Amino acid sequence: MPHQCTACGHVFPDGSKEMLSGCPDCGGNKFQFKPGSVEEASAEDTGRSAGGPADRDATSGDVTIEADRDTPPEPDHDPAPGTGRDAEVTVATDPSSTDASPTDASPTDASPTDASAADPDAAASTDAPPSNAAEDDAQASARSEVVSSDELSVTSNPDAAAPSSREDASTPSRASEAAEDADVGTDPDAADATDHPDTRTDTDDDRAGLDALREELNDQFESIRIVSPGQYELNLMELYDRQEYIISLQEDGRYVIEMPGDWGPDED
Amino acid sequence: MGLLTNLKDSISKVSDRLFADEEPKRIGIYGPPNAGKTTLANRIARDWTGDAVGPESHVPHETRRARRKEGVEIERNGRTVTIDIVDTPGVTTKVDYKEFLDHDMEKDDAVRRSREATEGVAEAMHWLREDVDGVIYVLDSTTDPFTQVNTMLIGIIESQDLPVLILANKTDLPESNIQRVANAFPQHETIPLSALEGDNMDEVYDKIAEYFG
Repeated sequence: MPHQCTACGHVFPDGSKEMLSGCPDCGGNKFQFKPGSVEEASAEDTGRSAGGPADRDATSGDVTIEADRDTPPEPDHDPAPGTGRDAEVTVATDPSSTDASPTDASPTDASPTDASAADPDAAASTDAPPSNAAEDDAQASARSEVVSSDELSVTSNPDAAAPSSREDASTPSRASEAAEDADVGTDPDAADATDHPDTRTDTDDDRAGLDALREELNDQFESIRIVSPGQYELNLMELYDRQEYIISLQEDGRYVIEMPGDWGPDED
Repeated sequence: MGLLTNLKDSISKVSDRLFADEEPKRIGIYGPPNAGKTTLANRIARDWTGDAVGPESHVPHETRRARRKEGVEIERNGRTVTIDIVDTPGVTTKVDYKEFLDHDMEKDDAVRRSREATEGVAEAMHWLREDVDGVIYVLDSTTDPFTQVNTMLIGIIESQDLPVLILANKTDLPESNIQRVANAFPQHETIPLSALEGDNMDEVYDKIAEYFG
């Protein structure tokens, strides 16, 4: 379950250890669980308390989570080669393919044959056969990162995105959106039953990844599991191992962590 | 000039006092809830300082904050051993407010007690890591000592190379089984006692002086 600074409201993602060094915004050290912001808050999540020893793990833990959340929007504007999505960008901006079939960029007109015409570029850069499976692979690799919300809204609303792809196919950022739209459109399954199943599996994959990550973080950092108010399970080794400790569990899942005065690298 | 000299004198006096004597050792009294840790702490404190450490109770988790009694001077065979006694909350892996409902407690009070007890365990584990020079491990000799908590704590204490004295408490009760405690931790000496009745306290003080002096 995510945590929230009680002083300024800064929200920390589930599993974040950022809060262990105090709230980055206001310096507060009083946090509460933020219920309701994660749909599938399991019993295991509810009891998870503070993170691990910051002197050892602060960097790795934070970075993983933050990076996952932050990176997805960037590739749209960053034409670095290599990823599956970039391959799609190449398709859209490639003069030959756009010249050959300018209208194909709109998802409504897209057909399997159009896809095969546009595919060789993508296939060349992803080393995959020019089939629908290849596109799925590309999508899968592109979306092995967390899908950002605006990306989801684009793919789930092809009609809304279509006008922009028709008007501004020449600008790179638009082109990448158009490429994704074309991508969805050329998939026969998606053409049949819109792209909702497609989107859902992507999200499920991400969720499975996040769940695994959360599970891992829980295993790693849980020291006090709040089974229900007044019922606690304690991981003594975790409590013993960490430098900071909980000095006050409060109502509504709030708690106060006692932290060492300086968070320097001085391990005693 | 006179001012400076005075200042220098007083500083050196303070530092003399600071570094003249060795710091008293901090001895943590650890063990599961209701083993008689506070009863023992009070017994030791009353015997040597006249004060008590904290309230005792039949209800588990009466001690929910670590309590310290500093500068307890124990005299043995003509020499004095000075220790700080830290009475810690009982260590457990589960705290459930329902346990307290049997002791005529309202639900709200029971929930609060359970919350405080959990904080207390966190604190006790923290002290064990940071602030303790030796451990008196108190066990209720009427109960089975083979528990996860006991094994884990003794393991931690051993890994820290802390001197540890294992006490088999409540020998005044008929169900007391000292041998069972001794068998559970054969690598350590087990001393039987009744902290409540004050039985065998002489041996306990001998061992405290021997282990922590």
